[in-house]
Amino acid sequence: MKTTVVGSYPKPKWLLKTIKLHRDGRIDDRVMDEAYKDAVKAVVKDHEIAGVDIIWDGEMRREEMTSYFAERIEGFVIYGEVRVWGNAYYPKPSIVGELRYRDELAVRDFLFLKSVTEKEIKVPITGAYTIVDWSFNEYYPTKEEAVYALAEVLNREFKELVKVGANYIQIDEPAIPTHPEEIEIAKNAVEIMVKGVKAYIGMHMCYGNYRAIFPDILDFKVDQFDFEFANRNFEDLEILREYDYDKDLGFGCIDVHSKRVETVEEVKRAIHMALEVVEPDQLYVDPDCGLKLLPRDVAFEKLRVMVKATNEVRSELGLE
Amino acid sequence: MRVISTVVGNYPRPEWFRDYLRKIEGLQKDLDVEVDREVLKKAISEVVEEQKRAGIELLTDGQLTWHDFLLTIASRLEGFEMNGLVRYFDNNLYYRIPIVKGKIKRTKRILYDFEIAFEIEKNVKPVLSCYTIAKLSKNEFYSKFDEFLWDLCDAIREEIEELEGMGVEFIQIDEPSLLYAEKDELKNLEDVFKELTSTKAKTVLMTYFDSAERIFPEVLDFGFDVIGLDFVEGYEENTRVLEEYSFERINVGLIDGRNTKMEDLNDLKRKFEEIVSRGEFKEVFISPNTGLEFLPRVKAFEKMRIVSKLKEVVS
Repeated sequence: MKTTVVGSYPKPKWLLKTIKLHRDGRIDDRVMDEAYKDAVKAVVKDHEIAGVDIIWDGEMRREEMTSYFAERIEGFVIYGEVRVWGNAYYPKPSIVGELRYRDELAVRDFLFLKSVTEKEIKVPITGAYTIVDWSFNEYYPTKEEAVYALAEVLNREFKELVKVGANYIQIDEPAIPTHPEEIEIAKNAVEIMVKGVKAYIGMHMCYGNYRAIFPDILDFKVDQFDFEFANRNFEDLEILREYDYDKDLGFGCIDVHSKRVETVEEVKRAIHMALEVVEPDQLYVDPDCGLKLLPRDVAFEKLRVMVKATNEVRSELGLE
Repeated sequence: MRVISTVVGNYPRPEWFRDYLRKIEGLQKDLDVEVDREVLKKAISEVVEEQKRAGIELLTDGQLTWHDFLLTIASRLEGFEMNGLVRYFDNNLYYRIPIVKGKIKRTKRILYDFEIAFEIEKNVKPVLSCYTIAKLSKNEFYSKFDEFLWDLCDAIREEIEELEGMGVEFIQIDEPSLLYAEKDELKNLEDVFKELTSTKAKTVLMTYFDSAERIFPEVLDFGFDVIGLDFVEGYEENTRVLEEYSFERINVGLIDGRNTKMEDLNDLKRKFEEIVSRGEFKEVFISPNTGLEFLPRVKAFEKMRIVSKLKEVVS
């Protein structure tokens, strides 16, 4: 039973200001790079104080989860932003040519993080299905072909990550539950992405109807699924029970859409509910999703509570 | 056969206007802050200008304050509360779901943005919707869906009367949900739509995101002057529809409003000619299949250029 995070963490306010200054051309790349590194150290320290077992760098360099990767892969261009809802926009990439591996996506971030912490590390990367679903496709005759081509690119990145010592990769695929009719494509894409990758593979999905993708996803070649449960009052645990879920479980038990910090008791109750479905060594306790939209002190407090609750359950079960 | 270039409705907001909205409304669910009329007018003028520059003849106001796509109409009526976020058809776009909490009433002008556009330019069409709003809302008030639909219809009807009074030539009614209506439901909808289309203005039914073969022949009795079909998503099916049924005015949604890929003009021309050869049309409108807000603004403009170029080569 370990504690972990999904990926993102609130950026320190000074970093946001520095990013803006850099964007306006008022500070150079070197200063910006140093700021990113300092921010990662600060975030790592927050996670260490909170006591999280498996960490990531809080995604200090990522603005969002599609175009960050698209910008680093051959075959994508970004013409501009489109609206997702209300006043929220994202730079939606277009596939305009053959998708090919160009730059590393997370290798440098992984190596830096490794140099500043003794903690175990998980590397989250947006999956092929989601990136394609959230992009325009001008090049491939079908969406399916685009997904598989991108899966090959990500497979190469995963192998590069393993080469430098990464042993836990999390594929983020929030788009999969929004298209249950294309589950077969998503499944094939996973096979391509993880082929020959000697690492523990998790898959994170949030925001969608899980029932629609069960039991199909149980055949996915991943070691763990990470779902949000707190956001829906843990009702979805029932689905796992119904289908005799036997993979490891990333158990989202902290609501990232609410600023209210959960109580230790509440989280403990939730963990016990999860333990009715999986064994303690299959359980990875984490928040529902990335914490980046919360105020930093709230995010920290939530992690602290999560760890404390997990520790108490551990000692109750004699796991320490 | 007269050919007219047009657009479907929404258009990407000018960047400065986007920043302005973000500043006054934030990113949270409490949107719908009153926008300063002069600021909105400036933004609408820009979008109207842009359409004209691209060669579009029948324009829209761009729906620049429509946070929830068609469901925005609900947010401007009494009786609805907006809540939660739901996916808008098969798009990676979300709207707040309108929840019916009380009797639906129209207490003020719904299309205040259209009114501004109409001050700037007379060749603009307002966009409304009725059945789709009822289908995508969550009814917690009426005991029967029909009662809800009829109250909504009355509210929209009032708006249409006002638009008619203003001297509007075309009124467009978008009904993507109609494409999924059951056959017996379609028959019942005839009265609702007749109510909406009995106006001096010419009414356009716009359908998109899917093919429309399931709503024929019933839709022919709804009283619309123009029927709009999506030939990007349903080229085969909709072409077959034209072979089987005849009507005089059609809106051909032929340019893909949801992909940045630019169509080949010759290919479009060939398809257009095939489509119109299937019927005897007096008037044909050419447009993208959907609103252009799905695209980054530079691409939205290029798509309108394609619409107007196609119009030139076929007329």
